[in-house]
Amino acid sequence: MRAHVKKTIYSLTGKLIITIGTLMVVGSTIFWYFLIHFQEKELLRNSVKYGHSFVDFVEKSTRYGMLTFQQLLIQQTVEAIGSAEGIVKIRMFDGRGKIAYSSVKEEKGTMLGKNESVCMLCHSNSRKAVEMPSWSIKKDKDGYRILNLLQPIYNEPACYTSSCHVHSIGTAILGFTEADISLSLLDKAVKKQELAITAYVLGFICLLSVVLCTILWNLVSTPLSVLTHGMERVAAGELDHTVKIDTKDEMGELATAFNAMTFDLKKAKDELVEWGNTLEKKVEEKTEEIRKAQAKLIHSEKLASLGRMAAGVAHEINSPLTGIVTFGHLLLKKFPEGSQEREDVEVIIEQANRCSNIIKGLLGFARASSAEKSSINVNDIVNSSLNMVRHKADFFNIKIVLNFDESLSSIKADASQIQQVFLNMIINAADAMEGKGTFTVTTRKVDENGVPFVEVEFNDSGPGINEKDIPKLFEPFFTTKPVGKGTGLGLAVSHGIIQDHGGRIRVRSTIGKGTSFFVRLPFYEG
Amino acid sequence: MNKGNILVVDDEDIVLLSCKRALTPEGYNVKTVRRGADGITLLGNEAFDIVMTDLKMPDMDGIEVLRRVKEGWPAIEVIIITGYQTVETAVKAIKLGAFDYIEKPFTPEQILTVVNNAVARRANQ
Repeated sequence: MRAHVKKTIYSLTGKLIITIGTLMVVGSTIFWYFLIHFQEKELLRNSVKYGHSFVDFVEKSTRYGMLTFQQLLIQQTVEAIGSAEGIVKIRMFDGRGKIAYSSVKEEKGTMLGKNESVCMLCHSNSRKAVEMPSWSIKKDKDGYRILNLLQPIYNEPACYTSSCHVHSIGTAILGFTEADISLSLLDKAVKKQELAITAYVLGFICLLSVVLCTILWNLVSTPLSVLTHGMERVAAGELDHTVKIDTKDEMGELATAFNAMTFDLKKAKDELVEWGNTLEKKVEEKTEEIRKAQAKLIHSEKLASLGRMAAGVAHEINSPLTGIVTFGHLLLKKFPEGSQEREDVEVIIEQANRCSNIIKGLLGFARASSAEKSSINVNDIVNSSLNMVRHKADFFNIKIVLNFDESLSSIKADASQIQQVFLNMIINAADAMEGKGTFTVTTRKVDENGVPFVEVEFNDSGPGINEKDIPKLFEPFFTTKPVGKGTGLGLAVSHGIIQDHGGRIRVRSTIGKGTSFFVRLPFYEG
Repeated sequence: MNKGNILVVDDEDIVLLSCKRALTPEGYNVKTVRRGADGITLLGNEAFDIVMTDLKMPDMDGIEVLRRVKEGWPAIEVIIITGYQTVETAVKAIKLGAFDYIEKPFTPEQILTVVNNAVARRANQ
C-alpha cells in the first residue's frame, strides 16, 4: 500500500534536497571559478611566453636585413610574418616613435601618437622598465583579447659597426618591436571549456538530486508516511491495523515497535472490554442474588411480624375463652342429659375448644425461636414421627416407603420441634392423598454453596398443589383443607422452626403427580 | 364448709370470675384482685391457703408475685395460670416454688383438680 507522501519543500526530503542542492551549487561554483581562473592564467602565461618567442623570431628574421640595411627586405619579411593567422599586427619603430616597418603598409614612416600606449612606456615609466620586454592585453572590435607584446631592440656591436652607420655606440636601445597577437582562439577555447564544465556540473547536480531524491523517498518519506498513516488509523480505533515495513534499518525497527505497541493496545483493550462484560454479568448476578435475598428477607420479616401478632392475639383471646369454657361447663351441669339445651351448650364448648386449638397452633408459630438444641439423628426422628401416626385409620391404605441414608451423622436441633415439623409434613401428606397412595420419605446429604446440609424429602402421590398457592403455603392461616380440618398454621410453624435452625423448606409440586417437601437442616460434623 | 381460702390474681375480670364460679360451689372461699401489688397487700391482711396468679400482667408479673408470696408466706401454695404454654416459664415457676401451672382456657374440672391437689399437699405438710 502506497501512502500519500507530502511533496512540498516542507517535507523532510524537500528540505534535505534543497540543503544538499544549495551546498553542491555553491561548491561547484567555487570549484568552477578557481579552475577556469587558474587555467586561463596558465594559458595566458604560456601565450606571453610564446609571444616573446615570436617577437624574437621576428627580430631574428629581420636581423640580416637590418645589418645589411635592406629596408625593403625587412618590410617584406614583416609583412609576410604579419599575414600569418592569428597575427594582428607587427611593427618596428625607432626610439623617437617613428614606425620604421609595419605589417600594415600604410603605417610605415608615420610617427606614433603621444597617446599610444607604447609611447607611454618610455614617457611615463622608469628607464629600467623600458629596457625589459613587456606585454599588455587589449580588446579587438569583436571583444576578443589581443596580446600586445613590446620588446626593445638592444644595441650591439654588429649594429654600430655596420657599414650603414645608422646607429652609434652610445645608444642602448635602438627601437622596439611590437606585435599584436590575437587571443581569439584561446578565448573561444576557454569559453567552450567554461560551458562544458558548467554543463557537467549542472548535469552532475541533477543526477545527484535524482539519486538522493529516490533514496530519501524510499528510505525516509515513504516509510514515514506509512507510519503516519498507520498511527492515524490506530488513533481512529483500528487496532487490527499493522504497518508493513520490512526493511532492516531504523524504520523497520520503528515499524516493528509500533506494531508491537498496537498489538499490546489491542490486547489491553480486549481485556478491558472482556472485564467490562464480565463485570456487567457479575453485577447482574449479584443484583439477582440481592433481589432474591431481599424477597426472602421480606417474606421472613412478614412471617415474623405475623407471628408476633398471632402471639398477641392468642394471648388476648385465651382469657375470654377461659370464661366461655368455664361458664359453658357450669351451664352444662344445669341441664339434664339428652336435653336440647345441654346439646347446645356442648356445641358452645366444642367450638371454644376449637378456638383453643387454633390458638395453641398460633402460639407454636410464635414461639418457634425458643428451642433446646441437642444432637439428634434425622432418621430416628422420621421413624418416631411415623410411628405416632401410622396406626391411625388415615394411614391404613397408604404405602410408606423409606429411603434413608444410613450414613447420616447427627445434627444439632430441638428434637420435639423437628418432630413437630415432620409430623406436620406427614399429616399434610396423608390429608392430600385422602387415605390412599404412596408416601416416600428420603434422607440424604446435600451441598449448598459448599455448606453441607441434611435433606429430608417428604413425597406424596397426592393431587399436587396449584402453582398460585405455592407462595402462600407458609403464610399463617393459609389452608387448602376443608373448614374445620386445618388451621393453616402447620406449615407456618414448620417454616419458623426450620428457619430458626438455620435451614429451609422448599416445595416441588406437579399437578396430578404429587408433591415433595424438602426440609433442609445444616449439618454439623462430629 | 370452707375447704380453703384462695386468692386469684389476674388482670382479666373474666378469668377471675371463672375461677370464682368454678371453685366457690366446691366449698372454696375465693377472693380476687386485678393487680399483683393489691394481692400482696391483701395477703398481709388476710390468711390464704392458695394463691393463683396469671403470668402476664401489667406492673407486677406472675413470677414477681410468686417470688413475693414465697418470701413472705412460704407455706402458701402458688398455682400459675398461663396463656403461654411455654415450657421455660413453667419450669422457671416450678423452680421458684410454684405448686403447678394451669393453661388457659381451663375447664372447671381442671382447675378444681389442681386446687384440690394443692390443698391436699398443704394438709400433708
